[in-house]
Amino acid sequence: MKVTVRLYGTLRKRFSGYRAEQGLEIFIPDEATARDLLDHLKIMESLGPVVAMEGRIMKPDDKIDQGADIRIFQTVHGG
Amino acid sequence: MKFIRANMSDQTITEENVPNNYIGLGGRGLTSIMINNEVPPQCDPLGPDNKLIFAPGLLSGTTLVNTSRVSIGAKSPLTGGIKESNVGGTMGFSLGKLGINAIIVEGKAPQGELKFLKIDDQGKASFVQAQDYKSMRTYELVEKIHKNFGKKNSILCIGPAGEQEFKVASIQGSDTEGRPCRAAGRGGLGAVMGAKGLKALIVDQGGKNPDPVADPGTFKESSKVLTKIINEDPFSGNMLPNFGTPVLVAPVNSLGAFPSFNARKGVFDGWEKISGEAMAEIQGPRGGKMKHMGCTQCIVHCSNEYVDEDGKYITSALEYETIWAMGGMTGIDHLDTIAKLDFLCDDIGVDTMSTGVGIAVAMDSGYKSFGDRDAAIEMVEEIAKGTEFGKILGQGPVAVGKHFNNERVPAVKGQSIAAYDPRSMIGNGITYATTPMGGDHTAGNLVGAYLGQVLDPLKKEGQIETSREIQFFNAAADSVGMCLMVYASLNSPEAREVFLNVTNAKLGPELAVEDLRSLGERILKAEREFNHKAGFTKNDDRLPKFFYEEPLPPHNTVFPFSNDELDMMFDF
Repeated sequence: MKVTVRLYGTLRKRFSGYRAEQGLEIFIPDEATARDLLDHLKIMESLGPVVAMEGRIMKPDDKIDQGADIRIFQTVHGG
Repeated sequence: MKFIRANMSDQTITEENVPNNYIGLGGRGLTSIMINNEVPPQCDPLGPDNKLIFAPGLLSGTTLVNTSRVSIGAKSPLTGGIKESNVGGTMGFSLGKLGINAIIVEGKAPQGELKFLKIDDQGKASFVQAQDYKSMRTYELVEKIHKNFGKKNSILCIGPAGEQEFKVASIQGSDTEGRPCRAAGRGGLGAVMGAKGLKALIVDQGGKNPDPVADPGTFKESSKVLTKIINEDPFSGNMLPNFGTPVLVAPVNSLGAFPSFNARKGVFDGWEKISGEAMAEIQGPRGGKMKHMGCTQCIVHCSNEYVDEDGKYITSALEYETIWAMGGMTGIDHLDTIAKLDFLCDDIGVDTMSTGVGIAVAMDSGYKSFGDRDAAIEMVEEIAKGTEFGKILGQGPVAVGKHFNNERVPAVKGQSIAAYDPRSMIGNGITYATTPMGGDHTAGNLVGAYLGQVLDPLKKEGQIETSREIQFFNAAADSVGMCLMVYASLNSPEAREVFLNVTNAKLGPELAVEDLRSLGERILKAEREFNHKAGFTKNDDRLPKFFYEEPLPPHNTVFPFSNDELDMMFDF
């Protein structure tokens, strides 16, 4: 299935040619989870990634919806 | 180890050894416990009985990184309760190097008189006539002070707003480059300083007499470990140096918790234009700095220098909370305008948060349109000019709401909330309601627990307990002088243990604290006791009505905790 992924923080630097307006359009297997998506994008745990869909933070085993607009940012503590 | 007491009424200065009951306290712990002991709770915050206390953290002036914060405490004219507001820059380190644990400003200068309090490199204090600096804005003020007294001085000062005793007046602190761009913004402490007739505290940076470290060997070794932890943490070691606090704009909007258009929406339509990522893209080609050392001893460099299209300085540092208050709340999606508003607030000497929220309440009341950039700038200028509207805005968002008969004022105990809506990050609502400080995120921000997936921001489970624990730990952090940005990275039990070791290596076995939690608990108890004596009741530990009644898009939820549940916060 196709999903759109928008990246924030230092994650953008890992994808050359990333354009904020478009995000990344990628294909992942149906039933893929948040963890699968991070594996697919090779975003390591040590980067503190947080996956959000529809305004909610996803747990690693939560399934991604068909055609979802996904945002991935990094853990932050306060401002 | 000494206190300096400066009496503005009779212009006397006395020094005293730190009394036994205050030994081992610093920063917020010292200011709050001293205010509870010495300030009459029912006093007029702008009268002679209030005290304005400057206290560096316990570890300020040592070799430990990121410990240059100074706490400023008093009874607040904005909340009517106890207040501590702390600031980075250079002052905490300068006071620590002089072995000064607190400067207590007492009394009140005769009407119309204005003074500097100057401390030399031996720690000797004196008053200096400051009539020539009357009504001066802070950037011009520090330039003249540096010219007349030397560049190697740390400064805490007020602008015209403080002199006019406005309740949103800030105390501005000089950064490593001498600019008055670091703010102890909250609680209207600039008005207390203005009421006392003190225009600036000027402290020589050449002190060589810090309080001794009881166990230098352990202190050095534990400091090394802490430095490594801070450098290796993804937040303090990577995110903050690249984007600073504006990096929060993306996640908080993505979770529908960015109060916008005076807290009518949880996602700001134009947030991608005012995010940390957008700022980096705008500032890169212009030559602005996304990484900048604003505070002495800092290894994180989360400050920034924002420049215009010609590469000319506008402000430093443009922070997340200001972007929210002057951007999301007012509907302004233009970073250059927000940067100008930040500079204006620093220059006039007002809190960007309470001022931005006041503007938002005025716009919500139909006074001006949301998104009107020129109107927002003019409104801030009106504070300095002392126009009819400026005098209302200068007294804070509650005064603005009263003027326009608008009950939608996102404030607790008179002070505006921060950039996390309590309907979609509900634990932050518990902190706003219950902290003795009034609406304040630094008292106990749960955003790290949400993004770290420890708690669900919309579910009630665990929120009260977590708010309570963070309030304890943050009160302790504010007492040692450590930057909260760094302290938040020390969230593993191992890191907290090393931090406790450093603290106790400074204090020695007789004064050693058992744990940071109990230090924080002691401080919170003193603060609540003061507020109780000042007349606060349980009814003051509540959020404004609209947070309980008006669902916030996109989640369309309200603040879910009952009054009885909120009161459980105080089961300690």
